Parts: sequence; structure tokens; C-alpha cells
Amino acid sequence: MVRLGVLRYARTALYVALATAAAWSARSLLALEDLVAVYLLVIMIVAVRHGRGPAVAAAGLSVVAYDVFFIAPHYTFYVADQRHLLTFAIMFAVGLVISQLALLGKAAALRAETEEIRSSLLSAVSHDLRTPLAAITGAGTALRGDDAALAPAERAELIDTIVEEAERLERLVANLLDMTRVQSGTLVVKREWVPVDELVGSALARVEARLEGRVVTTDVPPLPLVAVDPTLFEHAFVNLLENALKHTPRGTPIDIAARRAGDTVEIEVADRGPGLPAGAPEALFEKFARGAPATTPGVGLGLPISRGIARAHGGDVVAQRRAGGGASFLVTLPVAAGAPEVAET
Amino acid sequence: MSGSVPAVVLVVDDELAMRRFLRASLGSHGFRVVEAATAAEAIAAATGHNPELILLDLGLPDGDGVALTRSLREWSRVPIIVVSARGDDADKVQALDAGADDYLTKPFSVQELLARMRVALRHAAAAGVTALEPVIQIGALTVDLGRRQVLSGGQEVHLTPIEFRLLAVLARNAGRMLTHRQILTEVWGAARGNETHTVRVHMANLRRKIERDPARPRLLLTEPGVGYRLREA
Repeated sequence: MVRLGVLRYARTALYVALATAAAWSARSLLALEDLVAVYLLVIMIVAVRHGRGPAVAAAGLSVVAYDVFFIAPHYTFYVADQRHLLTFAIMFAVGLVISQLALLGKAAALRAETEEIRSSLLSAVSHDLRTPLAAITGAGTALRGDDAALAPAERAELIDTIVEEAERLERLVANLLDMTRVQSGTLVVKREWVPVDELVGSALARVEARLEGRVVTTDVPPLPLVAVDPTLFEHAFVNLLENALKHTPRGTPIDIAARRAGDTVEIEVADRGPGLPAGAPEALFEKFARGAPATTPGVGLGLPISRGIARAHGGDVVAQRRAGGGASFLVTLPVAAGAPEVAET
Repeated sequence: MSGSVPAVVLVVDDELAMRRFLRASLGSHGFRVVEAATAAEAIAAATGHNPELILLDLGLPDGDGVALTRSLREWSRVPIIVVSARGDDADKVQALDAGADDYLTKPFSVQELLARMRVALRHAAAAGVTALEPVIQIGALTVDLGRRQVLSGGQEVHLTPIEFRLLAVLARNAGRMLTHRQILTEVWGAARGNETHTVRVHMANLRRKIERDPARPRLLLTEPGVGYRLREA
């Protein structure tokens, strides 16, 4: 960031120098007032492209260049005619005002962009919020209005609907919160040294009730401890497991394997479902993207959240086609230096 | 609870909807529910009604639940189960370290709640009795505290002294949530600092010895960022 800042000021100096050279070569054609206009143009360009600090610098440099090259006596800072001092002051002041305006313009553009993201998020989410709400309201009112007209099986079904749809709402809200935290960069990563099998185990326990008898295999050999935030990482894994549950047929297996690969630990969640959709696997990690035709519930936040969490730890999540059919999601984590030794006794 | 005097449960929550749901569901399971919507009301109700269990929401309008837990613990051993929203791990751990017995994350099911309440009430009842059952049976796992012997499916399991102490602490508190700090204090003594990874590594070793699939534990359950719980019998 520091180097980027220096670069902006270097560019600013270059623009002022170029303007001075151009003005110098055309000085016989231009009046002094025209030269002032040329410098103001440069200040404006710098303000729009590089922001406030460089714009102020451009204003200062312009005043100096204008004085040295075009105001008699030439090549000195000395000003013979005191009236030019007023021109300098005005040039500088105009520079400041322009830079302030440029700043406001940029902020407004950013606000508009944020607003656009927010409204697209709202429209995508409101459907997914309303669907379970409608089901809950429907089932609840049916039960309230029931005067022993419902068969026991129907009552049980309505109650299941309420509970399941409420759980779906809870997951959606949790994902939205995670996404906001990942996106806004306010994700606080509290790293601790954790064994990989514990990460896998706690995530599996979280989705246990939804496995519905699927075969889950785990292949987690003893590995170096990884430095991660255990709560966040559980979310990342739960999302990968939920993704597999959602997009593969009931009863198909899920295979989890962990291994060391050079300076990273890899943890793979693989399934035997329909595989990745056509197109670039990277598209799956875009917000609100869904693999299958949009018949499966969900808003497409799970995978981007998993990736956001992994990246906040210096790792990543990538999607691959699995040999023999199915999809595989690979979490990579750097093996951090300084893993603590734990005494046996 | 049939026929016996109903146990009094103090529900501390500022949300009317939550109190209504708890009143109905606990009432139908034989508890008598006393309600409080603020920390001040909770203190008054805890002294006035002498409840057998307190269900405490950590987000109260007039004070934080952790401080309330601490002040209740100054004079009462009544079991406290804290209820918190998802993501407030720090609060949960603080409340447990301050003396709360267990916690539940909103939203939770009535079944989960009743299971936690049963465990907390049972441990509270056992606290007065001097000698706990020396043999604890959980599924296929047998922990014989007196003979310092552990059997898994009838087969003897060889544990290191640390692993045995770890398992013994969890077994004595079966069904209950123990924070990393509580485990460190119980197993290694209070001198240890904040070395949660020590607990994690020994727990991983213990799992390799007593779990069929250590990456998919059935007995030693992890609550990430909080601690561990040994499944109830």
C-alpha cells in the first residue's frame, strides 16, 4: 500500500511535468491565463484518478512550475509582479476545491455500488425467506384452526413442516451473517492449534441428523496441528458437507480424506453425485450461484463463505471433478511454523 | 415428575415469545415455571422462589448474563443453564467459567433443553452425596474410577495417566459441557495457563483409543471454541 501511495505521487509529478513541457513548447501561442487553465485541467485529472492527497500535491507543484517557467524573471521563484501572487493563491485554492469535489464524487459512486449489491442481495434473499415463512404460517394456522378434522398423520406432517422450515430459516440467516462478515472484512480470526480430526469430527456432528443413513467415510491420519479458528472452520466444513447433501442423491456416500501435501494440509470432501455443472468450477464460488438448476433450496452462499473463511486463514477451497464420477471440494491450509509440542504425560 | 412436588424453574429471558414457549413446554413436563425479564427481576426471583434450576438468557436489557451468573454463584449452587444466540462463543465460555453448568444455543428444541436440564439436575442432586458411582458406563465404554480401568466393548484400553485423568473428569461430568479451562484446571492443576491445544492433543489421542472412528466421535463430543462433552449414558 505504501508503494502504491508513492506511485500515485510520482504519477502526479509526471502529469505536472508533462503539462509544463507542453505549455512550454506552445508558450508563444498561449497567454498566461491559458496556461493557468492547462494546470487546472491537470489538477482535475489527478483529483479524479488519484484522490485528494495527490490533487493537493498537483496544485502545489503546478503553482511552483507556473512560477518558475512562465513568470518573469524565469527559472527563479522570485516574482517581479506582485499581482501574480494572487493568481497563485487562486490556482491553489481551485485545486483544493476540485480535489474535495472529486472525493465526494468517488464516495457517491461507491455508495451507489454498495446500494446495488444490497438490493440484489435483498431480492435474492427475500424469496428464500418468504418460502419457509409461508410454509410455517400455513402449517401453524392449519393447526390452530383444526377442530379434530386433521388425521394424526396430517398433524404430524404439519408439525414437521414447521420445524424443518424454521431450521431452514435459521441456516439461511446464519449464512447471511457469515457472508456479511466475510465480505466486509470484519471476520475476526481467533487462531488456535487444532488437530485436523477434531475439525472434521465437529462438523460431521453438526450435520449428523441430516445424513439420513448415508455412508460417510473418513480417512484422517495423524497430521500436524493447524492454526485455525475452530468455530469458523466448523462453519466452512459444515457448508461443504451441506453442499454435498443438497446436491447429491439420498443414500450416496460422502468421503472425507485429509493428507499432508508439501507445506499444506489438504482436506477433501468428495461425493458421488452428478458432478460439477458445465462451465468453470470457479463460478460455484460466486455469491448466489447454484450448481444444479435452481430446484434445490438455498441461496448459493455456502461455498463462497467456505472459501472466504479458508482464505482468511491463508488457505483456499477449490472444486474438482472426481475421478470415477462426482465432485470433490478441496480445502487447503498452510502448515504454520511454530506448532507447539505437547508432552505425553 | 408425576405425583411429586413440581420442580421450580426460573426462566430469565426478555423475549415474551421465548418465555411463552418455555412456560408451555416446561409446564407440560411437570415443572413449575417462574419468569423474569430482567437481571434485577432474576435476582429477586432467585431469592424469593428458591428455584431448582435457572434458565438464563445471556442477552438481557439491564445487564449482562455473565455478571448475573457470577453474582448468583456468590451465594447459590443452583444449576444454571445459559441460553445464547449463535456466535457469542466468548460469552458462553465466560458464563461457563463463571459457574454456569451448561449452555444452549438458540434456536434449540424442547428435547435438547429437557436433556440438558435432566443432566444439570442430576449432577446437582449428586453433588451433596460424597462418593459418586465408581463405575461409569456409557454405551460400550466402561470407566472404573476406583480401579483406574477403562474398557471398550469389554476390551481393556491402555491409557496414559493424563488420558485417564482427562477421561475421568469427563466421565464424572457425563452429559455436561466442560470448557477448555475447566479441563485444564481439573487435569493439570490451576498453574497451567491458556494452553487449550494441550487439551486438544490429548483429547485427539484419547479418541484414537476409545472411538471407533476418531474423526467421527460418538462419545467425546467437541463444541468448537468452547470445550468438550462426554455423551450421556
